[in-house]
Amino acid sequence: MPSSAAMDAGALPGRPAGEPAVLAITGCSVHLPGADLPGALDRVLPAPTSGPGSRSWAVRASAASCPPEQAATLLGRKGLLAKEPATRLALCAVHRALGLAAGQRARDPLRPDTAVVACSNLGNVGTVVDIVRTVAAEGGRAVSVLAAPSASSNIVASTVALWFGFAGPNLMVCSGRAAGGDGLHLAGLLVRAGRARRVVLVAAEPDDPVASALYGGPLRAGSGCVVLEPAGATATLATVAPAADGVVAPSAAALGLWGDCYGALGVVDLAVAAHLVAEEGQPQVKVSFDGAPPGRRAVLVRAEA
Amino acid sequence: MTALIASSSVLTCLGSGKRTFQAVLDGRCGAGPLRHARAGALNVTAGYHIGKDDPERLFRARTWLVRCVAAALRQAWIDPRRQRVAAVVGTGLRELASVEAWALDPGAGRQPFPVDRLDFGAAVPGVADVVTLSNACSAGGHALAVAQDLIELDVADAVVAAGVDAMSRSMLAMIGRVAPAPTEQVRPFDADRTGVLLGEGAAAAVVVPEDSTQAARPTLGRLLATGLSCDAQHQTAPDVDGIRRAMSDAFSRVGRAPGEVGAVVAHGTGTALNDPAECAALKAEVLAAGADPLITGVKGAVGHTSGAAALVNLDIALRILSTGRVPPVVGLRRPLPEGEGMRFVVGEQARFEPRRRIVQTNAFGFGGVNAVTLVEAA
Repeated sequence: MPSSAAMDAGALPGRPAGEPAVLAITGCSVHLPGADLPGALDRVLPAPTSGPGSRSWAVRASAASCPPEQAATLLGRKGLLAKEPATRLALCAVHRALGLAAGQRARDPLRPDTAVVACSNLGNVGTVVDIVRTVAAEGGRAVSVLAAPSASSNIVASTVALWFGFAGPNLMVCSGRAAGGDGLHLAGLLVRAGRARRVVLVAAEPDDPVASALYGGPLRAGSGCVVLEPAGATATLATVAPAADGVVAPSAAALGLWGDCYGALGVVDLAVAAHLVAEEGQPQVKVSFDGAPPGRRAVLVRAEA
Repeated sequence: MTALIASSSVLTCLGSGKRTFQAVLDGRCGAGPLRHARAGALNVTAGYHIGKDDPERLFRARTWLVRCVAAALRQAWIDPRRQRVAAVVGTGLRELASVEAWALDPGAGRQPFPVDRLDFGAAVPGVADVVTLSNACSAGGHALAVAQDLIELDVADAVVAAGVDAMSRSMLAMIGRVAPAPTEQVRPFDADRTGVLLGEGAAAAVVVPEDSTQAARPTLGRLLATGLSCDAQHQTAPDVDGIRRAMSDAFSRVGRAPGEVGAVVAHGTGTALNDPAECAALKAEVLAAGADPLITGVKGAVGHTSGAAALVNLDIALRILSTGRVPPVVGLRRPLPEGEGMRFVVGEQARFEPRRRIVQTNAFGFGGVNAVTLVEAA
């Protein structure tokens, strides 16, 4: 069995085999165009204390959440042609979680130690349906070759890898509403198995007409990202570990205030929780994963001990 | 702790795993006319279909997956009610074919679509922990990697690594869009190859820990490692360095040498770009280390089964280990110049000797996602 410093660092001494380990969150972002994050938090949290920093991240996050058609203002213009809204939203979330300035490109040498776990269910359905409708109406020659990569459902994960140079394992999770919880589960495995020193967990869903019709209800287009490393990493914002029963502060359900992001909701909630711990003074926040199987339905995000 | 493959169940256009292996040994090709309605508009005329039913019937992939998973669990003597069982399902195209049928229906929008059936979360009876990984043409290999991690980290007692894909019209359209002329048959590593065709397929393998209780239980082979990498170079074109990283990752994870490889079940898609890149990577990582493996591949016989392809390759690898026979590359007559010096199995089956050597299987996908698996006799 392979062993590595990463795996050893990720395991707590004395834990029984099989119990998931603690991970460090070293970056996070919430990218929900049009959502009122500060207002939503006001509804579930005590009024912010005065002084700098109070809820300021939520104000900044709301302001920085450009809609997908304006992603060039954040990401730079080059390379966005034919990129779908969910892919753009995912790129924006990763860009911000890495702390890059507007227009800054971070693609120096390839990073084989960095894995990508992306979650999306409806990201490419608009393009897929557009392709088959075009073929039906005008024939196959009328389809743009630029749409080819999006016929494959891993377009979000592979585009994030390509854009930022993340050359480690690349996983695209399409498991419905449970995708966010599954994504965190897989990210933990990649670290503990020594497959990656850093995992960029990102989730995005669009709200285009095809996606909404398939979903059968209103969607909130948006994305979230958390950067995960073995516990003890420098620049740790918060830690995430399996939740013990009965620890809820504030309630996880209250975090679903920004509309239904479907497969992106789990990672968005995780990123909000990390912000609350790192910048709002919350000691711990429980995040539940709707649709997750028994044993990994909730995690606890807390300040580093 | 290492992991074992307790069972493997496969369904391709040529039938079960056993039938498929025999057909490939015999050099048979399962390609036939593409049966989709209005196929002419797609510029794709051939495909590798399972059965005789309508290829646009809804949720076909799910029925194949359920069948393979149930068979694999049964053959492995695994009871999900009594053991911690998880499943990882790899798929390139999910049930997008059903989404397309829904969208092309004039009544689309009026009929609700069961969005929870776009993935395979509920498709593994008796198993609650099911993750759907949509990792393009190497999805099954990624599922196998995660399955081994779950076993080695003792998160589960048994993990079903599965893969499945039907054909989507959108993927057929893109294949037709970039092909100068329709391809009749996939011809991996042939100098005159004309491109890829899709194959319908499903596969499931059960991964279990190698421990003292295993002696009395079914075992098909030892799962040494699956190496993973992402090229991060190009959206669709393969990259030799990225493929090499997946290969070296596999060997270093298990601490074995590439010189031990006795046979390779290659990805071999018969496209202009894949086959030379795969040859270059094999030469640099495996042949350069002193190995001179027999090289085979099955896509000429069963088409590109996308999400199932890595696990179809795994099944072939396990049968090479158990029978000592390496099937020929169906569709290969004259190897490509980039493959000079490589021992492709052409025309007739070859002997796999000595039997203790490693069999390597390759799977690469859109977006540069690579999975390389190593197995040996248990």
